[in-house]
Order: sequence, then C-alpha cells, then structure tokens
Amino acid sequence: MLWYKAWLETRPRYVISLVGLVFLSSLLVFSKERQVDPRMVGGDYNLVLIEAHMALATLWVLAVTLLMMGGLVREHAAGSSSFTLALPVSRRRLMAARIGVGVMQGITLAVIPWCAMAAVASIFGRTFSIPQILFHILVLLSGGSAFFAMALLVSSLVEGEYTSPVVSFGIVFAVLIELGDAKLARFSPLIFMFGLDEHRDKRTHLLLGPIPWLQVAIWVSLALLLMWTAVKVIERRDF
Amino acid sequence: MFFRLNSTNGQPLYLQLMQQIRHAAETGALQDGDQLPGIRTLAERLVVSPNTVAKAYSELEHEGLLELRHGSGAFLIISRRSRALTNRVQVARKKVEGLVEELRESGLLNEEIRRLFETALVLPA
Amino acid sequence: MSHAPVIQVHELKKSFGRVDAVCGLNMSVAPNRITAFLGLNGAGKSTTIKMLLGMIAPSSGEGTVLGRRLGDPAESVDMRKYVAYVSEQQHLYDYMTVEQMIRFTKSFHPGWHGEIEQKLLRTYELPLNRKVGALSKGMRRKLALLLAFARKPELLILDEPSDSLDPIGIEQLLESMVAQCSEGTSIFFSSHQIAEVERVADDVCVIHKGRLVMNGSLDDLRQSYRQIDLVFNAVPDEVEFRLPGVERISTQGHQMRIFASGNSEAVVERARAFYASSIDVAPIGLREIFLERVKEN
Repeated sequence: MLWYKAWLETRPRYVISLVGLVFLSSLLVFSKERQVDPRMVGGDYNLVLIEAHMALATLWVLAVTLLMMGGLVREHAAGSSSFTLALPVSRRRLMAARIGVGVMQGITLAVIPWCAMAAVASIFGRTFSIPQILFHILVLLSGGSAFFAMALLVSSLVEGEYTSPVVSFGIVFAVLIELGDAKLARFSPLIFMFGLDEHRDKRTHLLLGPIPWLQVAIWVSLALLLMWTAVKVIERRDF
Repeated sequence: MFFRLNSTNGQPLYLQLMQQIRHAAETGALQDGDQLPGIRTLAERLVVSPNTVAKAYSELEHEGLLELRHGSGAFLIISRRSRALTNRVQVARKKVEGLVEELRESGLLNEEIRRLFETALVLPA
Repeated sequence: MSHAPVIQVHELKKSFGRVDAVCGLNMSVAPNRITAFLGLNGAGKSTTIKMLLGMIAPSSGEGTVLGRRLGDPAESVDMRKYVAYVSEQQHLYDYMTVEQMIRFTKSFHPGWHGEIEQKLLRTYELPLNRKVGALSKGMRRKLALLLAFARKPELLILDEPSDSLDPIGIEQLLESMVAQCSEGTSIFFSSHQIAEVERVADDVCVIHKGRLVMNGSLDDLRQSYRQIDLVFNAVPDEVEFRLPGVERISTQGHQMRIFASGNSEAVVERARAFYASSIDVAPIGLREIFLERVKEN
C-alpha cells in the first residue's frame, strides 16, 4: 500500500494540477483558434497548437516540481518519518513507490491535457496527426524527466517542509533564465521539451522525423542518474 | 479477590502479593481448593507485570501453599504443611500485634516502629 | 519461547559531529519481560532506540535486535516485521483517516489480530472516519498504540508512551502493555514517569551521558538499595563507612545518612561497632535510586 500512500499524499496537488493544465491549455487553444483567420492554411496555423504545447510544457514542469515535494525528508520535518521508517520495507521500496506514482502522474499530466487540446482544436475542424501529438509528448516527457528527477533529488537533500520546493523552483527558474539564451538552448531541457526549432519544418512548423532518440536517451539517462543519487542519499541518511 | 499492591514503598511487588495471598488463606478469604485468577487476568487487574504474578505464584507453590495445575490455573491448598505454616504465622502475628501495641503505648509512632522492624530484619541472623 | 536476549548491543557509539550522543553502550534486554529504559533528556535514549530500529546508523559498535544485526539494511527490514515501535512524536499521516491508517498498517503485517483492533477501537473510542490530522494529540497517541498492539509483535519498543495521555489513557496503556507481555511480547519502553515504571517494569536500564550506568531487575533494586540513618554522640569519620555498596555518605551534626546499593548489613554492623545511638534502615524508591545515579558526581 505504499503506492496508495504516495497517491494520497499528492492527490490534492495532482488534481489541481490536472484541472489547471487541462483548463489552461484548452483555453489557450480555444482563444487562439478564435483569433486565427480561417483562411490561413497550413504552417502558420499549426503554431497555435505548438504555442499551446510550449505553455503546457512550462506549466508541466511547475506542476511536477510541486508534486515531487514530499518523501522522507519532508516527513521528518512533519513528524511522521519515524512511523514510515518503522515499516518493514526498505528505503529503496519507499522511494520506488514515490517515483512510480510520480511517473504515472507526470505521464497523465502530459497526455490528458494534450487530448483536451486536440479535442478543442477538432471543434474548429483542425487536427493534428497522432504521430505529431506523440512526438510532442515524447519530447515533453523525456526533457521533463530531468526536471522530475531534479525535484526528487532536491526533496531528498533539502530539509524543511517548504524550503525544498522553493529550492526546486529556484533551480527551474535558473535553468529557464540561464539556458534561455540561444547559444545555450541546446543544453536546456525545457527548450528540448518545446521541440527544438532545428527539428521543425520551416513551413509547417511540425516536428520532423527522425525522432531524436539520442537526445531523448541523454535526458532520460541524466534523470536516471539524478534519481539513483536521490535513492543513495536517502539510504545513507540518519533520521 | 481484592489485592492492593504499593509500587512506591520499596518492597518488591511479588513479595507483597505473596503476603496478601497468604493473608487471604489465613483469614479464610481463600479456602482450600479455591482457584486463584490466572496470571494474565490478575496481572491485568492489578496492572502489574505478569512476571510479578508468575513469580509470586511460583514461590508460593514452592512453599506448598499453591498448586499450579498446567492449563487450569493456580489452586490454593491448605495442606498440613501449609496449615502448620499458617498456624505459625498466626501465632507470630499475635506476638507482633502485642509488641506493636506495647511500643505504641510507650509513645512510639507507627513510622518509628516500622523503621525499627526494618532495621532488625536487616541485621544478620 | 526463546531465551536469547531480544536486544543486545556492544560498545555502541554514535557521534553527531563533535557531540557524542552514545559513547560505548553495552546493554542486554531479556525476552518476555517488561524493561524500562530510563535516562535524563539528552542522555541518548532516543538515539539508541533509533539505532536499534535502523533509522540512524551507528558510528561504531555492534548489536542485534531479535537476532538480526544492526547496520544491515536487509536484516533490519526483516526485524521490523516482528518489532513494533511507537515513537515520542508519533505524527502518523494527517491526510489519512483512522480507518485508512489501520488498513495501511495492516497490509504490512499478515499476523494482524483483528480482535485486538476491534477491542482497542472500542476502548479508545477512535472515530473511524476522522482524518488523523483532526485528532487530538491523545487520540493520535492511542491510534499509534492500537497500530502497534494489534500486531502482537515479538518486541514492542515504546518511547515515552504515556506522553499526552490522561490518567484513564495511562491506565489503559499499562493494562495493554501487561496484556501483551502475558501473551509473549517483550516490551522495551523509555519513560520519564517513574511511577508507571515502578508499577509494571520487571527490569530497569539507566542510560546516562551515552553509557549504561545501571541494569538490573526492579525487585533486586528494591531488595538491595537502602537508606541508613545513623545518629552518633561522636560522629566517626566518613571514611570508616566507605564499604562496598555504599554510594553516598552525608554528615550533619550528629547524624550520618548513608545511601547504599547493597551490603547494608555490613554498614549496620559497622555502625554498631561505633556505638551508634540510633540506626534506621529504610527502603529507597526508584526515583531516588535513579536521581542518585544520574546526579553529577
């Protein structure tokens, strides 16, 4: 029932995030659709969904950072860590449950809003092909995994119930600002989540194949490394 | 069975319990063949460790006052030996009561009398 | 039933930076008994307990709990299947209801005793559908105790269990402890409430400044510790009374007060040899024995 516990702990934040993301991204698509000249064709039109995707990606990062607040260090500040640590489970299993629930939440927070956006667009007769949608979700999740893992690591290192998310958000903003510069864009996971311009067709603005598996692998590997570090930190800590 | 144990007076609880069971046997509150409460029941009732009750019962079994039947509980035996013991205790009690009365009449307070007995008990035989 | 000690530690040490919380603790706790763990605040009780449970890693030294080694994570996890712990803070999960907490805890322990759970729910009057965060401190403490007792563990470790309980709650707690011990559970509890310890403890371990300074059965302590008050016309030198077992001597005017952990017969003999005009031997309660042990020497 460790997964159930992790779910209950994050449920309010998850629900708010999901509702917020679905609402905001749908609203964005809806309002831009209204503004777009129906005679516009092709490329410039696709920008609507792409801009919505970028907004979604940014909000997704904030939501996931908020969701990954928690864990044993926070429980220690709140007072329930001695109960959790007295359970006959390893710290690794505790972390696995938190990561597992977080991953599922992260995926649904990308897929469900995208479905909503596509639904809104189709009201106006616009469609995005499924491969395109999946391509966008893939880059969102793979770049996003780095933020996810970073938030997990911060929550394992930083004491204090509220200090941890402050530090995490600080790092997110630092990444946004420092790596927003065009030259460093390649190193920014967020820019990758947006879908790099170099991968886009100049005219249609759609993402072109082939799928950048190497970069996906790099971001995911970085995430795995950070997660492994977080697990090690928790295993060695005195509570 | 009404027992009362005092945990702050420095006397081991199992000894107090033993004394009170013996007293119950002497006064007839417990009669030959009567069953005492089980260890767990008595421990919960008195709110003392079951080891205390177990030790009291075990010591009394050694003295021959109780018979511990495995599975059924502790039963009082007024055997000839324990009857003799009881008689001796009764005689001794009368002596002690007489002495205490004397000491009181000579002006000593209860606490002082108690201390004197304690001291005397500590002296080697 | 096994006779191996339920807890055994050897030269256990823990330092936090330059502070030595536990400095070479040697302790052995017998099975099927109620053992009290006494010590002043900061003496190292909580740190020791956390090391036993695998929450803190010892700096050095070794030990076992129910035969499983300290410091080995896998053995520690196994040990926790048989050891229940109620900590001082016991915050539990604010966002779960009482019913969810029970279901959650139950899922880890196949040997859960539903009848104990039901009985304690009634005795403690715990509202099943209320969130833990909305319970009073006393109710939370009772819930924590229920979660430990319903497991009927082999070993129960309690840290200040009567904290935040009213007198009825304390009676219920002591009754439950005694009942669990009757059914084979060994109990190791730390407490500041000497009165409760005197009622239910079989053995007492006293920790002071990170080391064990007393370890024995309460019965033995009660039978050996004595306060001996002597009156002399001519008070002899205190040195004459520094016999084995004598812990402290104080002289005032014609009076000498001796605090002895044993061997009081020898003291009384010596007193007579010096023609004491009055000899008074009285037993000493646990509170004084404890305070004597932990006062600055």
